[in-house]
Amino acid sequence: MLFAMMRKSAMLLLAVFGFTAIALAQTQTVSGTVTDKKGDPLPGVTVTVKNTKIATSTNSKGAYSLNNVPKNGILTFTGVGVITSEASVNDTEILNTEVETSVGNLNEVVVTGYGTAKRKDLTGATSSVQAKDFNKGTYTSPDQLIQGKAAGVLVINNTGQPGGSTTIRIRGSSSIRSGNQPLFVIDGVPLSGGSARPGGSGGGFGNDGGNPLNYMNPNDISGIEILKDASATAIFGSRGANGVILITTKRGKSGAPQLEASASSGISNVAKVLEVLNADEYRKTLKDYALTSGDFGSNVNAFDAIKQTGVIQNYNVALGGGTEDGRYRISAGYLDQKGVIKTSELKRLSVNLTSNFKFLPSKKLGLDINVLVTQTNERIAPISAFVGFTGNLISQALQWNPTHALIKPGTDSAWIDPALGSTTINPLAQLNYFKDRAIVNNIIASISPSYKITNELEYRFLYSVNRQTGSRKGEVNRLLNAQGIEGRGAAFLNNQEQTNSQITNTLSYNKKVGADFTINAVVGHEWLVFDSKGNGSTGQDFTNLGLNYYDYLGTTSQASRGIFSFASATQELQSYFARSIFNYKDKYLLTGTFRADGSTRFGKNNKYGYFPSVGFAWNLSKEEFLRNSAFVKNLKLRASWGKTGNQEFPSGASSNRLRIGQFNPGTNAPDVVQTNYGNPDLKWESSATINVGIDFSILNERVTGSVDYFNKNTSDVLFEQNIIQPAPPGKIWINLPGNVINKGVEISLLASVIKGIDVNWNIGGNASFLQNNVTGLAGFYETGELRGQGFSGVRGQRVINNQPLNVWYLRRFEGIDKGTGQSVYADGGNTLYYSGSPNPKMLLGLTTDFSYKKLTATINLNGNFGQYIYNNTAASVLGIGNLGNRNIAKALIGTGIKESLSNAPAPSTRNLEKGNYIKMTNASLSYRLGNIGRSIRNANISLTGQNLFVITKYTGFDPEVNTDGGVDGIPSLGIEYIPYPSARTITLGINFTL
Amino acid sequence: MTYRKYIVFLLLLSSFSCTKLDENFRSELAQNNTSDLKASQFLASAYSSIAGPFQGNSDLWALQTLSTDEGIPPTRAGDWDDNGAWRAVATKTWNADLGQVRGQFEGLLAAQFAASNVLQYKPSPQEAAEARFIRAFSMYWVLDGYDQVPYREDLNNYKLLPTTLKGKVAIDFIVTELNAILPTLPDSGPAYVANKNAAKALLMKIYLNKGVYLNRSSPTFAPEDMAKVSALADEIIGSAKYSLNSNYFDNFSPDNNVKSTENILTIFNDPASNRGGNVRGFAFMVSHYNQNPGGWNGFATLSDFYDKFDATDQRRGVYYDYLGALKNPGKRVNVGFMIGQQYNLTTDAPLNARNPADKPLIFTREVKLRESDPATLEITGIRPNKYAYDYATAGDQKNNDFALFRLADVMLMKAEALLRTSNAAGGLLLVNAIRQKRGAPALASLTLNNLLDERGRELYWEGYRRQDLIRFNKYLLAYQEKPATDARTLLFPIPSSQLAVNPNLTQNPGY
Repeated sequence: MLFAMMRKSAMLLLAVFGFTAIALAQTQTVSGTVTDKKGDPLPGVTVTVKNTKIATSTNSKGAYSLNNVPKNGILTFTGVGVITSEASVNDTEILNTEVETSVGNLNEVVVTGYGTAKRKDLTGATSSVQAKDFNKGTYTSPDQLIQGKAAGVLVINNTGQPGGSTTIRIRGSSSIRSGNQPLFVIDGVPLSGGSARPGGSGGGFGNDGGNPLNYMNPNDISGIEILKDASATAIFGSRGANGVILITTKRGKSGAPQLEASASSGISNVAKVLEVLNADEYRKTLKDYALTSGDFGSNVNAFDAIKQTGVIQNYNVALGGGTEDGRYRISAGYLDQKGVIKTSELKRLSVNLTSNFKFLPSKKLGLDINVLVTQTNERIAPISAFVGFTGNLISQALQWNPTHALIKPGTDSAWIDPALGSTTINPLAQLNYFKDRAIVNNIIASISPSYKITNELEYRFLYSVNRQTGSRKGEVNRLLNAQGIEGRGAAFLNNQEQTNSQITNTLSYNKKVGADFTINAVVGHEWLVFDSKGNGSTGQDFTNLGLNYYDYLGTTSQASRGIFSFASATQELQSYFARSIFNYKDKYLLTGTFRADGSTRFGKNNKYGYFPSVGFAWNLSKEEFLRNSAFVKNLKLRASWGKTGNQEFPSGASSNRLRIGQFNPGTNAPDVVQTNYGNPDLKWESSATINVGIDFSILNERVTGSVDYFNKNTSDVLFEQNIIQPAPPGKIWINLPGNVINKGVEISLLASVIKGIDVNWNIGGNASFLQNNVTGLAGFYETGELRGQGFSGVRGQRVINNQPLNVWYLRRFEGIDKGTGQSVYADGGNTLYYSGSPNPKMLLGLTTDFSYKKLTATINLNGNFGQYIYNNTAASVLGIGNLGNRNIAKALIGTGIKESLSNAPAPSTRNLEKGNYIKMTNASLSYRLGNIGRSIRNANISLTGQNLFVITKYTGFDPEVNTDGGVDGIPSLGIEYIPYPSARTITLGINFTL
Repeated sequence: MTYRKYIVFLLLLSSFSCTKLDENFRSELAQNNTSDLKASQFLASAYSSIAGPFQGNSDLWALQTLSTDEGIPPTRAGDWDDNGAWRAVATKTWNADLGQVRGQFEGLLAAQFAASNVLQYKPSPQEAAEARFIRAFSMYWVLDGYDQVPYREDLNNYKLLPTTLKGKVAIDFIVTELNAILPTLPDSGPAYVANKNAAKALLMKIYLNKGVYLNRSSPTFAPEDMAKVSALADEIIGSAKYSLNSNYFDNFSPDNNVKSTENILTIFNDPASNRGGNVRGFAFMVSHYNQNPGGWNGFATLSDFYDKFDATDQRRGVYYDYLGALKNPGKRVNVGFMIGQQYNLTTDAPLNARNPADKPLIFTREVKLRESDPATLEITGIRPNKYAYDYATAGDQKNNDFALFRLADVMLMKAEALLRTSNAAGGLLLVNAIRQKRGAPALASLTLNNLLDERGRELYWEGYRRQDLIRFNKYLLAYQEKPATDARTLLFPIPSSQLAVNPNLTQNPGY
């Protein structure tokens, strides 16, 4: 009583004393939840009122409550593995905060495929890239977010086209045939790797297949895990050999609904154009060569006429919230990216719902429902590499005679001038008389109920369906003077659909046995069904009525019509899998995984494949001798072995098939022809990987990093071998007795150079050194189709024993003879010599971010070294022989040697160039405005540049290129042929929370 | 607890309801699902399969034609460089990796398989005989080029290696086959269906070349073989189904299936039923960009060869009027050899070259294997085309049937057999009968040399020149723009792609 009275008096006294103070700084109670960026609650975070001693820490659910907080106070959140952050109180009583976890957060829970594990428990080689570390700027697909971000991962943007395809190689190429792309898994849904975007029919329609992941809005992704060694990937069995990329989408956070919004707008321009002569230089060169024709008197730059400043707009809103027992996040995104070449454009509209619910009084029954709906809408420019000698828009613009007007004087239409020859196509005519549109609708829906049978044992069911429909239509106007088009016109309409479904059952078991031993185990069964169908029609002979040709295909001439439909062979995959992680005292970790995969594709003698792996890790830093080390905070040694598979061969390869040919009035039935010899022994390709690695963090967690050595030996290599004739035409799928060996070292480092309240500076980087070698082939196989006039049937690359995949075999160019002006080749050009490899020997990624108070600067660089690129554009499009009619490459003049006009632009090492480059992938400057007014929170503005500069000696458009030159299904690498140019983009963005 | 039971039950259920993982083809047929198919459907495919190696500018036709005095594939600056492949064909410097050498071998063997495969699907006796004819025909060409003929007895076990029939064994096999099917083949019918006379013509070719197949560098011709050639010719001529056309180019026209009275065996090209190969390529491969049809400005013939023709010989080139042809007001030469100024066949305006565009398009007599003068490299060379361009048919497939065996060839083979058995006078009669029809003056006498020339004039650009030059011992000589070669070039190398996988093949000598 006395005590109570005393306290009352004291309060009164305090009230009187501090009247002024209280009037200025009233206090209140603030409570809330602290979560990480994925919305998972973080326990043990210290919450302090800035400049006071008022503090508490979050409970197991991440919740906290603080009294006596000044209404205008600032809360500081600190903790182990948490990047210190602040939030203003601003009169609110509920302050939920999302904090960023630091790189060294070993208690972080990561997805591992069919389950989760703590990062500290992992024994495999994985790289993790969280949203905050993604490449900054506008990207259309998730793979671009991690370019240069993870050791051992090569990402090549094959083309600059908006939504264009990428080449991804995790630890090099292990398969000779197709199927080197990794497996993508979105929230537990493994994808087929295909897309329902149909191809075009007829010549000239953009050949790039597009990126099958375009439907995934990068803004919805919270993190990407890259699984590299067998200990990590063996759980994906026959689809794991090329590595696995796990994409986790953002989740809602419990608490009051929160609306996040972001908007960005940018402009992009062609980063670099292969240099050709301008009109004055052209005239001078004509004079130098004593040519009398070829000067038409004008001054034009045809490339300027086809390029544009591409405008990019990107808007995203996301609403998230819920309670402990029901969380949701719904987001919508809209992207409109106009390309740097006129007429090209990608629009994407995406809606994504993720939700997690818990039911029953015991909360043992859970239910996750995710739905992703996307539409991409593309307008595609006429830039196909699969074109005849009249070329595509890029070659037409490069070749255009700079002294000849593009527009016919006195008109506003493109000038098709017979004086330039009937096969010269005006790039403006190509643009104007061409349409190519693709629309792809995509839905991925999954429902996943789970039940905690006991505290340790949980059952989970997952059903997902991924449905895509695509349509593509295109036309070439009869006014275009292209062979087979002029006076006729052509159009097509193609449709495709894909339905992939999945049923997965898993049973997971997490148990602590005694004080020192824990088990994290999962067993499961999975059934995947892939289905694909399509149809299309083509026609010719239109008149110009102001309508789109493809809207009235039925009126075309009978003989010109074509029609097709197909349904893929049924494809099913049935699997059983198990994994267990044993942890003893956090010192010794053992992971064992096993998967059995059965596939409809496999031959009847090999229906099931088995994929085991073991991984072991020793956490030295938990040992007595390091436990108290001030220098070493974490030191983990890892070793793993395992087998994974690759089953990327077409359905039907294991059995004899007959193709139904054209209807034949003679027999009153279609012709039938046997198309292949099936191989009933055909099975998956098998990769045995050894990985040894070390993870460390030193200097009080200021420097963290990993070093890994791997050796991946791929055997039973899938290959389409020459069939022993007489036989059906073509090839037979076999498992080669040969091996493809990839080995290398990966290093990644992250250093916190300055770590302060106001100033922070981090530098990170990764480097990978890769070696690739093929053995055991019978003979060699050619690929790498080089194109252009005079290049018919030319293949520049070989797959040959004791060399890396796809090495260059070309005539050796020894210069130009000063007397004759003709190229001189070793051995008179009769021998093709080994001329280098298109595979990079080293991959480099560098990243740095610097923040001062509210300002943050981020720079990302990536580079590849050691590869040779064939500049097919310079080789066959802009040769000296064009002079007098078309344009030539600027590099051909001013060399001191007068090249003869008749010097054949033959495929040789003349145009094989070193492809080493380092590129500023992006650089971003952002300013945290914080809270604006009462309603806008966490506002942030940023200015981002993408592809700002490239350091390279490569003379083509961009050394980051991969024009498809595959032959007989053997992919090529390192060819540039009249590609869609890369863009340099500047974007201004703002994001905030309501 | 009930929940738990339910879930465990569900788990068990889903785990054990396994799929059998059977593969179903939905747009193709599995081989064990062919009960609805008829042998005729496979036979039609087998006929189509021989179109591949013969029609068009690559593979068999190119090797048989461009390696001889009859044709040249000039490299026009960068155009037609194609990594030197065409120069290798022209100078016979091919190796086992050359695409044409491989394409010919694999194309012919694929045709052999397609023909054999017909026999697995319960053919009628005539269908079986036709299939065996196609098989014998493709095996004969493999024998001719490579001396080793892989042959597969069991078509369904791909692991069994084909046996290799060499030289005489292959000759005997083909002759036995042809004699076995002769009674069952039809007496008559369209030329694109194998009939008795086609089989006889093929037997003639084998007997005529048998000496070559037994000893390529110095062949001898056994009188009994020559007698067989002569007798078979008499049977064909005696069947009274064939006569020489008064217009030579009727044999190659878009409607040659109706007009030709000479064609004994053809490849059926019929766009209406979507059948046929790249016969338009014969126009495209020689035609300049600015001509109609605008082509690929490629191959040419050599002036020495052109000069073998008399000016009155209609085979040298004429204005040919046919259904669907362009107006051609100046009645310019549109089939045969095109030389000199070329014209717009609609307006008769003289055409210019593309580059330099101010120079007239005049096809010159002289042409080099490597053309390098920018002023002329587009226009050099005399351009031959026998297959009148089918303007009337839109699309890539044209109506001209491709001639494989003709009466004139049968007559010339007989003339040769007579000449080689010391009956030059008998041969001369046959040769002059042809020459008279073609508008060429009669020959005074018949020698091996002028008979070879006559075969060139009659059969140029039809794919027989290499075989003829070898038989007359002249294939290895130097010709205009072409060096002499050594004896290894009498055989093509076995393509390395097949050598690598088939241990029953051995590389031919010298490669």
